[in-house]
Amino acid sequence: MELPLFRHNRPDRVVTFDEYREEGGFEGLKKAFSGMSPNDVQQAVLDSGLRGRGGAGFATGRKWSFVPRDLPGPRWLICNCDEMEPGTYKDRVLLEHNPYSLIEGMTLACYALGVRHAFIFIRKGYEKAAANLARGIEEAKQAGLLGEHILGSEHSIELDLHLSAGRYICGEETALINALEGKRPNPRSKPPFPAVKGLWQGPTVVNNVETLANVPAIVANGAAWFKGLALNPEGAGSKLFCVSGSVKNRACVELPIGTTLGDIIDGACGGMRDGKKFKACIPGGASTQFLKPEHWNLPMDYETVAKAGSRLGSGGVIVFDEGHCLVEATLNLINFFARESCGWCTPCREGLPYVKEILTRIENGRGEEDDIAILREHVKYLNYTFCALAPGAMAPLDGLLRDFEDEVREHIVKRKCPLK
Amino acid sequence: MPKLIIDDIPVEVAPGTSVLEAARSVGITIPHFCYHPALAIAAACRLCAVKLLDGPVKGIQMSCALPAQDGMVVSTTDPEALKMRSLVIEWLMLNHPHDCPVCDEGGECLLQDFTIAGGHSRRRYQGKKRTFQNQYLGEGIHHEMNRCIECYRCVRFYQDYAGGTDFGVMGSAGRVYFGRFQEGALESPFSGNLVDICPTGVFTDKTGRFRARYWDYQFAPSICQHCSVGCNTSPQNFERETIKIVGRRNDQVNGWFICDRARFDKTYLNDPQRPREPRLDGATCGYDVAVDAAAKSIREFVRQHGADKLAFVGSTRLSLEGMILLAQLADAAGGARICYFGDAGQQQGSMAAAKLLNEENTAYVKDIEQAQWVSLHALDLMEEGPMLALAVRKAFLAGAQIFLVAAEALPARDVLPFKYTSVETLNQVPFEGGGKGVIICGAGSKDPDLLAEMASSGAKLVMLQPGPNGFAAALLAQEHGAAPLKELVAARQVRGVVCFEADVPEVLLADVEVLANADWRREAVTDTSPIFLPTTTWVESDGTAINFEGRAQRFQRTRIAGLPLKGLDPKYYGSATEAVSLHPPRVHRKEVPGGAERDAWRVMAQLIERLGGEPIEPLSGKWSSLKSLDPEGEGVRIFEIGLGE
Ligand SMILES: Cc1cc2nc3c(=O)[nH]c(=O)nc-3n(C[C@H](O)[C@H](O)[C@H](O)COP(=O)(O)O)c2cc1C
Ligand code: SF4
Ligand code: SF4
Ligand code: FES
Repeated sequence: MELPLFRHNRPDRVVTFDEYREEGGFEGLKKAFSGMSPNDVQQAVLDSGLRGRGGAGFATGRKWSFVPRDLPGPRWLICNCDEMEPGTYKDRVLLEHNPYSLIEGMTLACYALGVRHAFIFIRKGYEKAAANLARGIEEAKQAGLLGEHILGSEHSIELDLHLSAGRYICGEETALINALEGKRPNPRSKPPFPAVKGLWQGPTVVNNVETLANVPAIVANGAAWFKGLALNPEGAGSKLFCVSGSVKNRACVELPIGTTLGDIIDGACGGMRDGKKFKACIPGGASTQFLKPEHWNLPMDYETVAKAGSRLGSGGVIVFDEGHCLVEATLNLINFFARESCGWCTPCREGLPYVKEILTRIENGRGEEDDIAILREHVKYLNYTFCALAPGAMAPLDGLLRDFEDEVREHIVKRKCPLK
Repeated sequence: MPKLIIDDIPVEVAPGTSVLEAARSVGITIPHFCYHPALAIAAACRLCAVKLLDGPVKGIQMSCALPAQDGMVVSTTDPEALKMRSLVIEWLMLNHPHDCPVCDEGGECLLQDFTIAGGHSRRRYQGKKRTFQNQYLGEGIHHEMNRCIECYRCVRFYQDYAGGTDFGVMGSAGRVYFGRFQEGALESPFSGNLVDICPTGVFTDKTGRFRARYWDYQFAPSICQHCSVGCNTSPQNFERETIKIVGRRNDQVNGWFICDRARFDKTYLNDPQRPREPRLDGATCGYDVAVDAAAKSIREFVRQHGADKLAFVGSTRLSLEGMILLAQLADAAGGARICYFGDAGQQQGSMAAAKLLNEENTAYVKDIEQAQWVSLHALDLMEEGPMLALAVRKAFLAGAQIFLVAAEALPARDVLPFKYTSVETLNQVPFEGGGKGVIICGAGSKDPDLLAEMASSGAKLVMLQPGPNGFAAALLAQEHGAAPLKELVAARQVRGVVCFEADVPEVLLADVEVLANADWRREAVTDTSPIFLPTTTWVESDGTAINFEGRAQRFQRTRIAGLPLKGLDPKYYGSATEAVSLHPPRVHRKEVPGGAERDAWRVMAQLIERLGGEPIEPLSGKWSSLKSLDPEGEGVRIFEIGLGE
């Protein structure tokens, strides 16, 4: 079965508008506009079991259903392309090869949600993707697939590209909304959730690039088809896995949901690099706990990965081999999070540098036995922050202390990094 | 009305009340930094953590951001909540300089209080502290960024509440910085509130740094006397000097804040050059000697020229008590004339306003804040009633339309913290039957017909008085048929004046004889008058003032009168030759140096006695219900007690 996201990809260049159409692109849009009501589109997405690919894995159809339909004033759709989670680069690969699935998907989402104006919030550094999107939007408009009176209907949908200066926190949906409004990208308190009060206080849906790019195929082929793509019964659809670290071919690949970790590494990525032994991996971007060798045959799906004590997250898989120090790896991630904290709430702004200081000492052989307890306090109490950045930042540390406490302790006892 | 349980105490609160406020209502203070009742909820500091044991939400929650709901069972002392709070303190202390002894906030610092309350006392963090460069923010406010705990109160006040644009937060993560793009004086006329609102020592009052600690201060509830809004303040005094003035909460008047004039304009109170000694014919004398001489001079003048050629002159600076006794004094002198205003236009406008206003049509500050439209009529609001600009801003933010009528020549209009439409006449303000609208104008020098026209619009009215106690002056002028001094002098109806805190224009002095002058500041009359009786300022006296909306408010003596110890003339050190500045007096004396001043109304009472009368208790008769006015209360509008028109 052909997987929906990468099926139009050319190895060395972006697919053209004509190629995309010839290969069945914009069929979903046409189908929707000739006979499906907005509710039908939303129902298809709901039935398909599509879950948000931005990290939290929230059911997309359900999120859409939270948008009140009877409020006066405009509603908004925002595509989140701030992709800055370490280890995650799927949205870039997707858009550098094919901007059209996203454009079509957003048009369909607008149709379903009654949105007339949608935004793509794209981070700095993604200029190539942005150029593709800008061109794609123009082409779609020219072809009557976007803009005024789409396919001759009474529906008009506008799509705007917003190039952001780029901060990790801008990916948090409410901070993103503030940024789009021209304010400081501090998150907003929830509730109210964006679906009720978002951009300019109007109901707003924020979805990830990959989430929205799945919608055309769902509408074109039906919910059951999409569900059937997954290898396990609970799952639905395909997933982009962007793999980095100790594998032979570091690549972004599209695989059915439910593909096992081992199949991703050994199959799609050609196995471990230099015959090294798999020690651990972070399965879903920097804010997820480690998976271990015992998870080699774990089907990569939201439910099963959660049961294994981690999260599928964004699908950014970072693979570590036996030569990697996980204290150092965790410290590296904490460095990122400490730098990217927005600075709004105390635990994140001050707690992350605290953790960083402790991990730095441990890695440099100056750790103390009490440090582990302090780190554990942070893992627990950084859950009580204003937004999900700090709890996410604690996930790898949580994993480190849960699965590799011995390695941490060895650093402290030997007064040096045992792997150096 | 949600019912919940907090630390085993059943609590019932109004819907929308936060758990933090619900706890406060039963006497439990949950530590908090970012929460401030006047500002939007930030939920940033995470100090107010409590644990919800049962009910609709569970676990650790921020009590400032959690509306109380039925069935909640809240613990403020649960170990997990305590641990969270102590960790928040530990985090905030990672970078705090920890040098309270050299911080001017020490002793009045929320961070000190809640650090102690937080239970974190041993440093575990081994890293270095982050440091910042401070900025020059003008002559009012000193900046020490290292003390910042990033509660975001300052930005939320400066930008959101006060509409300032030149100060804000920059940077992210551990580098967030609260300041200006470039060093320079803060532009907002409300910038001084940063001192009050910052829970730690980032912003301190530059005009009074390191003079005294909080526990050294003498203070009492006071009322600002710079305009007729009547904001509530707490002057902080030390060794007979008013070191700082801070805002005092009154939700009916100024909320939590005051303008920069109220806070920083205080040098005149401490001025060593203030005339503080009673004088008779140019030489200092005992107070009673001067009072005797004044009584004698009055009697003599009345005998020679008749009482109706004599005027007792006050001003809108006098307290209500002084105004009442001034009338009795004129009476005791045999029926002399009374003036509360110098200028005819001012008196006319002020009296017209007092007459037009009543309980129904007089706007409360809340009415301004909730108005659908506000019209500012030929008025420099930042000059005549700055704090009301913040009330208008609230209305503006809530969607009200603001009009500036006939306001072309106003200098301060650019800094009004709201957007407005300029129109030429009131007729151009599009409203029907008043609606929920408010007209704000200055009453002084206004044509009474114009004021009457405004009053007939159906809108709520704000008529700002010329001077802090103008409303009271208007009421008494009405009651006693007082005339403006200028008019009396021009018509040659008076030939002699006795002045009490009167601002007599210099030009009039050529045409009248000044018998005696009582004041706390040097006026033109001070030098012409053969008798001078020093009086106390509003920070040194008890009294009552009536603000623009007819609200009577009591202010209390916040310190004793006298020369400030700092800069005391060397003669008080026991040696006239040795220069020993800044050292306390070396000789023991019974009187406070320069402390001879008396409250103006008390001087009047003494004069009444000398003239054979029996001084009345000022707040008696129809004023008697003001006698029990609570200086810490919200005051009372005189309409409610049957006074006014
Ligand atoms: C700190 C932080 C960073 C985030 N960054 C991104 C991001 O770069 N891209 C993204 O799609 N979602 C990101 N998210 C998740 C979004 O808040 C939001 O849940 C998501 O965009 C919803 O889309 P989805 O339902 O399609 O997954 C981030 C969340 C947090 C807390
Ligand atoms: S958790 Fe971090 S990123 Fe989120 S609001 Fe707090 S400081 Fe900002
Ligand atoms: S300067 Fe003061 S008010 Fe502003 S954030 Fe820092 S501690 Fe809070
Ligand atoms: S007071 Fe509640 S989070 Fe700051």
